[in-house]
Amino acid sequence: MFRFRLYWTFTKKAFLRSAVYRFDVWSRLGSNLIFLLMWGSIWTALFAGREEAGGVSFESMLTYIVVSQFLSGVNGAGTPLWEIQEKVRTGDISLKLMRPFDVPLRYLFADFGSVAFYILTALLPLYTVMFIFMDLTLPSSWETWALFIVSAFTGFLIRYCIEMSFGLLSFFLVETGGIVDVFYFAMSLLSGSVIPLWFFPGWLERMALYLPFQGIYYIPNAVFIGRISGIEILLSLSVQLFWAAASYLLLRFVWKCASQKVVVQGG
Amino acid sequence: MPIIEVEHLMKDFMIAKRETGFLGAVKSLVKREHIKKEAVKDISFSIGEGEMVGYIGPNGAGKSTTIKMLTGILVPSSGSVTVNGIIPYENRQENAKNIGVVFGQRTQLWWDLHTIESFELLKEIYQVSGKRYKENMDTFTEILGLDEFLNTPVRQLSLGQRMRADIAASLLHDPPILFLDEPTIGLDVIAKEKMRTFIKGINNERKITVILTTHDMEDIEKLCERMILIDHGQKVYDGEIAVVKERFGKTRTLIVDLEESSHSLQLKGGEVFKEEASRFWIRFNRDEVSASELISQITETHNIKDLTVEEPAIESIISRIYQEGYQELTETVKI
Repeated sequence: MFRFRLYWTFTKKAFLRSAVYRFDVWSRLGSNLIFLLMWGSIWTALFAGREEAGGVSFESMLTYIVVSQFLSGVNGAGTPLWEIQEKVRTGDISLKLMRPFDVPLRYLFADFGSVAFYILTALLPLYTVMFIFMDLTLPSSWETWALFIVSAFTGFLIRYCIEMSFGLLSFFLVETGGIVDVFYFAMSLLSGSVIPLWFFPGWLERMALYLPFQGIYYIPNAVFIGRISGIEILLSLSVQLFWAAASYLLLRFVWKCASQKVVVQGG
Repeated sequence: MPIIEVEHLMKDFMIAKRETGFLGAVKSLVKREHIKKEAVKDISFSIGEGEMVGYIGPNGAGKSTTIKMLTGILVPSSGSVTVNGIIPYENRQENAKNIGVVFGQRTQLWWDLHTIESFELLKEIYQVSGKRYKENMDTFTEILGLDEFLNTPVRQLSLGQRMRADIAASLLHDPPILFLDEPTIGLDVIAKEKMRTFIKGINNERKITVILTTHDMEDIEKLCERMILIDHGQKVYDGEIAVVKERFGKTRTLIVDLEESSHSLQLKGGEVFKEEASRFWIRFNRDEVSASELISQITETHNIKDLTVEEPAIESIISRIYQEGYQELTETVKI
């Protein structure tokens, strides 16, 4: 029995909570913009006046970076890795075992609230302006828009499950610096967030295609700029759904081990 | 009928042994040795419905470990626990509906939100009906004065307000059992007194069974008739507080202020253990000599300006039990 009303309450409360941290919203938006400018300039320089590289036009490449920064804003508004680790360390998460709800779902739904607030108040206004005033590629059909939203949402779920699983590893490790490095490396490079996978050397591209991270940035982005179309989109979405399911199972497994450890070892 | 039943409860923890030195550090990278620590060894007790019991022990005695097993977030190594007919660790979520928990040291409210938002959230978590929620909120608001801070973010509450909010939050779903872990820690005298009155009240009126962990012996004295004393993971005493006081509280101290300073005060049945100018502290055993006998002995040779008789605080009795053990103490007292 899934108690939607309860989890929805977490979403609502988290939405309200975000409103408390207005400064946080602005500073996050600021750093998002700086990264956008940085990657925008880097790619402009790399294209060096060429119309096309790697089979993609300069305009599409720029769109890729903008969409990527948008997605990074969306994903960054959830509970970050360090905060999960902090909650493990302080025993916050262990104490939640005493409550009649499912902990991973509770945080997921709370994240929906924080992310929704950030999208509505900061990301949407900013990126709408950006798309109006810059020369960017927009999906030509509403179907592509819809597929992009589905794909981005699935990517968000994959990212949540993986980030949460990594965070919960703090239950088993005293020193978590290595975990953090691996996570951020995979998140920034293997996901294709700053360099599209088609620019990777063949072996690295193959490796990235076999990993879940591409589902977070690369696939939604490829849908948006029209790098993939038709049956390819459906294929990519299936890959994403597969990874969403797999990373959810991973999260359930890690959570099961973690709560088992808490109840046996006292966390 | 007991609402909480604990039998031969044990809990061991495996603790990674830290090796010293460079070689030790390298060794522990590959293979780590563990030592077994027995946090709770063979504790049994049962608590009846509507009782209010003080669960006391020095730091590291195994109090929190026991409470955690009662709430279901720890599985016992052996022995059995039943809380309101449920085995907590087997059915944690079901057990959660039967218990309320307050930790004095940390809040369970949502830190950044207005206090009322946490209450609304708990209403959903525990599926409290709208009617019952309103009734409880009205009652708690009246007794605890919640209305003065319901619309303040939790992080801005004073400690006293936060405790009041926390205890109200733990009772919203009408749990038959309440665990209080140091509910008065850090509070000022007035706030402590208010908290105690409230706890006493809900125990009386709602017949809620309360288990109270605290280091403040005044809490125990004012609230509980029964206490369970544990030390080194074992039960040292379980029974009425009055009995302990009766048994160990026979020593009295008579403090007299004399009009003139005196160098010698020899008394039959009393022992001067401290003196300061014209003030004398005399220890005596209530069973052997009465205070009035001592006083008349003194007035034969001196004029008394002022006097007081002190009985030992439960605090000092308990610290003696910790130090000397209950059994040994019983014997020394008999002599």
